[in-house]
Parts: sequence; C-alpha cells; structure tokens
Amino acid sequence: MKLPRATPAALGFVLIWTFLAVFVLYPLTRIFYDAFTNEAGAFTLANFHEFFTDRFYLRSFWNSMVLGVAAVVTTSVVGVTVAFLLVRYEFPYRNLFSYLTMLPMILPPLVGVLGFVFILGRAGTVNVLLMDWFDLTHPINFMYGMQGVLLVETVHLFPMITLSVLDALSKVDPALEEAAQGMGAKGWRRFRDITMPLMTPGYVSGALLVFIWTFADFITPLVVGVQDLLAVQAYLNIVQFVDRRIFRMGIVISALLVVLAIVFVLLARQYVSIKDYSSLAYSKIERRRLGPAKRRLAVGFLSLLMFVSIMPQVGVALAAVGRGWALTPLPLEYTLEFFEQVSIETPKFIVNSILYSGLAVLVCLAVGVPMAWIMSRTRAPGRASMDALTTLMLAIPGTAIGIAYIRAFNFPLPVFDVALTSVWIILPLVLAVRRLPYTVRGSFSSLLLVHPSMEEAARNVGAGGLRTFWDITVPLVWKGILVGALFSFLTSIQEASATLFLTLGGWEMIPFGIFTFYIAGSQSQAAALGVILIAVCALSLYVVNRVAGTRVGGLFG
Amino acid sequence: MIANWKRAAAALAAGLAIAAPAAAQQIENELVLITPVAKTLTDPSLAEFAKYAKEKWNVTVKTSALAAGTPVAYGRIVEWKGRPQADIFWGGESALFDKLTEQNLLAKLDLPKSVVDSIPAAIGKPKAIPLKDPKGFWIGTVLEPYGLVYNPKLYQRLGLQPPKDWDDLLDPKLKGNVAQCAPTRSSSSHATYEVILQRDGDPKGWEFLKRLAGNTGIFTARSRDVPSVVAKGEFAAGFAVPSYMAFEDRLAGFDIKFVAPKTAWITPEPIAVLAGAPHPKAALAFIEFMLSERGQRVAMERGVFPIFPKFKVQGAPGSKAEMAVEFTGGLRSYFDVEVTNIYDDGIAQKRYAEVNSQYRKDIESAWEELKKKY
Repeated sequence: MKLPRATPAALGFVLIWTFLAVFVLYPLTRIFYDAFTNEAGAFTLANFHEFFTDRFYLRSFWNSMVLGVAAVVTTSVVGVTVAFLLVRYEFPYRNLFSYLTMLPMILPPLVGVLGFVFILGRAGTVNVLLMDWFDLTHPINFMYGMQGVLLVETVHLFPMITLSVLDALSKVDPALEEAAQGMGAKGWRRFRDITMPLMTPGYVSGALLVFIWTFADFITPLVVGVQDLLAVQAYLNIVQFVDRRIFRMGIVISALLVVLAIVFVLLARQYVSIKDYSSLAYSKIERRRLGPAKRRLAVGFLSLLMFVSIMPQVGVALAAVGRGWALTPLPLEYTLEFFEQVSIETPKFIVNSILYSGLAVLVCLAVGVPMAWIMSRTRAPGRASMDALTTLMLAIPGTAIGIAYIRAFNFPLPVFDVALTSVWIILPLVLAVRRLPYTVRGSFSSLLLVHPSMEEAARNVGAGGLRTFWDITVPLVWKGILVGALFSFLTSIQEASATLFLTLGGWEMIPFGIFTFYIAGSQSQAAALGVILIAVCALSLYVVNRVAGTRVGGLFG
Repeated sequence: MIANWKRAAAALAAGLAIAAPAAAQQIENELVLITPVAKTLTDPSLAEFAKYAKEKWNVTVKTSALAAGTPVAYGRIVEWKGRPQADIFWGGESALFDKLTEQNLLAKLDLPKSVVDSIPAAIGKPKAIPLKDPKGFWIGTVLEPYGLVYNPKLYQRLGLQPPKDWDDLLDPKLKGNVAQCAPTRSSSSHATYEVILQRDGDPKGWEFLKRLAGNTGIFTARSRDVPSVVAKGEFAAGFAVPSYMAFEDRLAGFDIKFVAPKTAWITPEPIAVLAGAPHPKAALAFIEFMLSERGQRVAMERGVFPIFPKFKVQGAPGSKAEMAVEFTGGLRSYFDVEVTNIYDDGIAQKRYAEVNSQYRKDIESAWEELKKKY
C-alpha cells in the first residue's frame, strides 16, 4: 500500500512531520548547539574536553551506568517473577495482587522517595524501632547512598518489567511450551529455550525503559544525598545560573544524556523497534494451580513485595497527617492542618494538572494515532525515522527536554510578539512530546492485531482513507489507543522534571506544587499534596477502568 | 440569575474604575515575585499585602511567588533579558543585585525618603554589611543570620553539649551526622564558607571545611533541606542555616534549636523591582508595605529581625514573635547589640567561581576520602 494520495492524508502526514520537527528535533538541536559553543557563540570542543578530563564527572558517568544496570537486574528479578506468577499460576488473591502490582505506577516523583525516607530513613520508623529494641546508637543506613536510590527505583519500576513481559507471556503459545515439555524439556531448560526467547522483545523494551528512567532520575538521588550521578549533575549545574561555566556544563551533560539515550536505543534497536511489537497472536492461557507449599510461597512473596511497595504511600500518608514527627515510630500528634494549608492552592494545581495533562493527551492522540497508523499501515517514506524518533523521545531525560525548550523557544514569536515560553500552552506541548510514545505504542500494537483485510473490504465498497480509518479501524482498536493514552495521561500528570524549568506563576501542576512545598521546606505539606496527587491518579485510573470496562491489569495484558 | 447580575455589576464597576481619573493612583491587580525566600515568609507577606491593597485601593491583587534558589532566580532574571515574567526579586546577596543593576535589569526604587532614611546605611564591624543601595536600586527588608542548627534529642543520645560556634561541628562524635548544602548550590552556604575562609585565612579555612566534610553525612540539594533533615532527626546538626528556615520547622512542631555563632553573617534580604516589570506599581506598593510597621511585624513572626532600629521583635506571651525571640537566643533587634561581621562581600563575589571550583576539587570530588581521613 502506498502513501494515500488523498490530500487530507498527505496534509496530515506533513503536519505530523512539522510537529516532530518543531517540537522534538529543533529543541534538541538547540541543546547540541549550546553544548558545542562557548559564551561567545563560537564553536568549541572545550566543554566536552572538560567533561572527559574531570574526575568527578567521569565518576558520575560510571556511577550512572552501574546504577542503571543494577536497577535493570533488580527490577527484572522482581518484575519477571511477578509476571510469571500472575500469568501462569492460580493462587488465592491473584486478582487482588494483579491490581496491587500496578500500585507503584501511581507514585509521583519525590513523593516515593520521601515516603521511603519517612519509613526507612535514619530517623524512620524502622530505625527508631530497631534502636529502641536493640539499643543501637547508630541507625542502619538504608537510604542515604546508592542502595537507597536502587531500592526506590526497584520498587517504582518493577511494574514496567512486569507489564512488558506480561504482554509477551500472554502471547507465547502454550502449545509451544507443551511441545517442549513433551520432548522432555522441563523447568529451567524449557524457560531458557522456549519462553525466554519469545518474551525477549517485550522484556528488552521494558529493561530499556527502566535503565533510562533510572539513568535520568535526579530527584530520588538528590533526596538521599547522592550527587555523583550524571542526571543529578545536569540538574544541579543548570539550576545554579550564576556561574555561567557550570551552567553550560549542565547543558553539556544534558546533551550527553541525549547522546547516550540515542546510543542505548540503537543498541537495543533490534529488539525494541516498534515493528517487533506484538507480532504474535494472543491466546488464552490456562493457569496452573499451585501446590499448597508453593502457593504459600507465592502469596508470601507477593505480600512481602506489596508490603515494601506500599511503604512510601504509607510513609507519605503518615507524614501528611503527623505533626512534628521526629524520632518516633509513628507521629505522636495528628493534624489536618497541612491539608488545610495546601488546600488554598490545591484546586488550582488540580485544575492545571488535569487541563494540561488532558490537552497533552489530546495532542498525543492527534499526532500519535496517525503516526501509529502510518507506521503500521503504510509504506510512507520516513517511517523508520518516525519509529526511531518515538523510541528516542522515551529515552530523553525530562530535564534535557525542559532546558531544550527554554533555550529554543524563548524568543518573541513573529505574529504574536510573545515568546512561547511565556504562554502556558508550552506545558501541555512539552508533556505531549514527552509522553507521545506511549500513545503511539499503544495504538500501534493494537493496530497490528486488526487485520488489514477489514480495512481493505471497507475501501472496496468505496470508503476513503480517512473514512475507513474512523469507521473501521478506530472502533476496533480504541481500547489499545485508550491504554496508551491513559499511560500518557498518568505519566504526564506525575511529570516534574520537564516542567520544572518551564513553569511560571499560575501554571503550577500538582508535582510542581509538591516540589515547591518541598523546596519551601515543608515536607508535611509536600506529603499532603502528594496524597492528593495519588488520589487524583487513582481516581483517573478508576474512571478509565469504568469507561473501558476492563481491569487495568487486563488492559495492559 | 442573581449571580449573573452581580457579575455584570462587578464588571461594570471594574470598567468604571479603569475609566475613572483616580486610576493613576491605582495599583495593578497582579504581582509576581521571584524569590529564594521560602514560602513560609513570602506567603504570609503576600497575603497581608493583599489585604492592605484591598483596604487602601480597593484592588484585589492576585499575588504569586516563583520559588527559586538565589542562583536560579538570578539566572532566570538574566535569561529574561529585560522582559521579565516577574515584578520583584527578593532575597539573596546584595552583590548580586549590584550585578543586576550593572546589566540594567533593575528599576530604580521610588520610595518615600523618610522610609529610606530610617534604614541605617550599614551594620556590623569590622566589615560593614550594606543595608541599602546608595544608588537606590535595591533596599534591605529584614535582617537574618546564617547560623547552625541541632537536634537536642540526637545531641543527647550522642552525649554532646549544645554547639556554640562553628568549630563545635568538628567534634568526632558528630561523624556522619552533619548536614550541609554545597556552596555551589546555596548562597547561604557559600557565604558561610566565606566566613570560615575569611576568619581563618585560606589554608586553615580549607582545612576546617575539609574536616567539616569529613563529619558530613549528607550534602543536601538546597539549603532549606538542612534544617528539615535535622528537625526530622535524620541528622544531628546543620551548617549555614538561615534563621527563619529553622524557625519554620520549630513552628511546624519539631524540636530543633538554632545558634548564631559570633561570626555568623547577616543578610538584609534585599528587594528590587525588575526593569520592565509587568506590574511596576503593585511591585513598589509591596516594597513600601514590607517596610511599613505592618509588613515588618509579619516578617518578625517568622523568625527574622526588623531592618529598622525603631522596631523590636515583640509580642504577647506565647505569640509567634516571642517564640522567635526565644528560638534565636533572646535577641529582639540587631541594633541592640554589637554586630561582629568579618565577611566581606566584595572579596567573596570576586572569587566566587574560584571558591566553587576549589570546593568541587578538594571537597566534593574527594568526599569519600575525606570521610575516611578525618
């Protein structure tokens, strides 16, 4: 099938590329321009020379790599185990667990790590109890250091692995595995030879996401005092504007993060290329019942995991209602004053959050669904670049995008005589660009499941390209699109890194509000707003569930 | 229906107000601050100002504050290149305000002479801390010491006496228990690093700072986190903490103590109107308000000191003002006491980048080794 000649379709194609060029490619080029020039604007390699001869930057670089790999290992162990249990086995409370394992996904940045510190910090509940019971003079250091970052990332990100494998696991034809078993391949061998290769594409894309997320996260390390990581250095150098040289190094590190993201995407490309996504058909999996001992083990493992996963939420909830909570296992005094204090501004935060994230999702749909369609249904030129660009957008750290937007759009636009950075529309735009890939992927994978013959049939009876798309394709794939859009929404509403530099007075979204309260020094108020954000996320998940009529776990599976 | 009618009437009234000749006296109905001063001081100040504007001009001013550390705020103002998205820059070091003046990014303050004149030109010996700009581009608002904080409960557990001076933070018993913010990240930390360097001279000063790093358990991202982690009991002592930040944690119910060593630097928290500010009249009105008794009282309840000798921190027994007095060691005004200041902002600003890069090289990059060495 060739690129549809119909003018609207061609126009749409051009519009999409214009959007990508203006809002993705151009800002990124701007970052690179900054990285390769000095204050006077002349070309230089000195910035990179400085980076690669600085012991501290090199250590940060190394630490970031190690942390990323470590997070992939820990999330894989946890995530794959959970996926296997949920897809393949039947045990008590399985449904409940499949809900709960998604819980860490609604854990906004900052809130998660703060919650952990309240429970596991040097003066957290666990250490206070340990010190009281065992008369320890010094607390055990769970949080301050790489181990703390790794813990937070693992709990937060293992569902990404679970989801990506869940998808593949449900599509692995059990007949294949049975055949293997019939031929004598059992247990580990069967897993290694049959199951693993089949779930590799899904797994690799999940692992890439985990790696890059960890790699790009600066908030978690900052709270636990780890600063020798690349993303942290990029952020810290940029937020101090006084020393222009350090500031430029921040941009250089951001550019480097982008380069590394490109490298990782290329390395993983043969697996994560969108074309490999969901190429196998779904088939209903028979779940096996577990024996009593194993059943207890499974329930025990999942319960323990849920216990750890829910720690940050519990910590945040306690901090939100506890007054002067220090060095006691639980707060001694309870109060609603923090909710009252944040309630003045909260309605504005909530409205902004829903408005901007909602608009972002609309942009995602307007751009992402046609993109998915072009990639899955046409041979239009530039599809491969579109695919690469989508994956890349996932990989670029939020701070890098934020700073790229400030550098790129802070000039008065010709007709309006106002800079894009002074108009609130920039927030939904940056959110849309950052979260577009989820919508594209969600739409793409479901488009693949609809046989083109149905669309051809429609065409044969005279329906045009767009008409066919709206009347035939969309009704068949809307659930997949919805899942993608939901994911875009949930991640947008929790986004802090890209919006941090771009937010001006009056545009604050909830995560920005949390950040401001935290910066203002009130962890309790930050916690109160965190609880509200978690509630908003949970509520939107619930609403979408009702609309879609399926369980979330089901939606993702 | 009635609501609609009311709205129409309000719109009409607003329209008339704009048309009325008195409009020249009116202030704009919006005000945006960009400030490193924490919310806990800006929010009550803005709220009280809004009330005052309503009473005086019958204008409902929509106020907001862009919270940003001093360096960030400064950087954004420079990036705005004279097309600012805020009206007022409040807080930080006066030298930065001078830098902005040089770049023509501040508007000259048109304040009543009586107000400006009742603020002394400077405070402190042997080095004077300027409290207002002779050229009139910025003016001090409050006095605020950068001191140290500690958690009494943890101090007791560690068997330590309450700290009195910077040197007490080098006690080996505090190993891993000190919180501080890097001078590259925080202007209060940078100023206090300079206090140490100017007190001890370079080699000894850096030796002190390295030993302090050896005792440090966390370098926080911002100075505001330092009192937070001490209040919570995560760490026992904190270095270079602005008094009002620590006082907020006290107000929030935490057991935290503040000490201003003799050589602690005191900032006048300068304020200025940005050149090209969208709401210049409201901005100036806010500054006048902060320099009125009413404005000064709001600030005094949050743990800072008046910039006028004529006011003292004072309130009914049990009031926030009295809590603040107790918290800062019984002081009611910096004009009541001899202020020792050894910090020279001129020297500090000249070698700002050098101190930062030496910190990066000798302390930040070598922290692990310093922890083992000391």
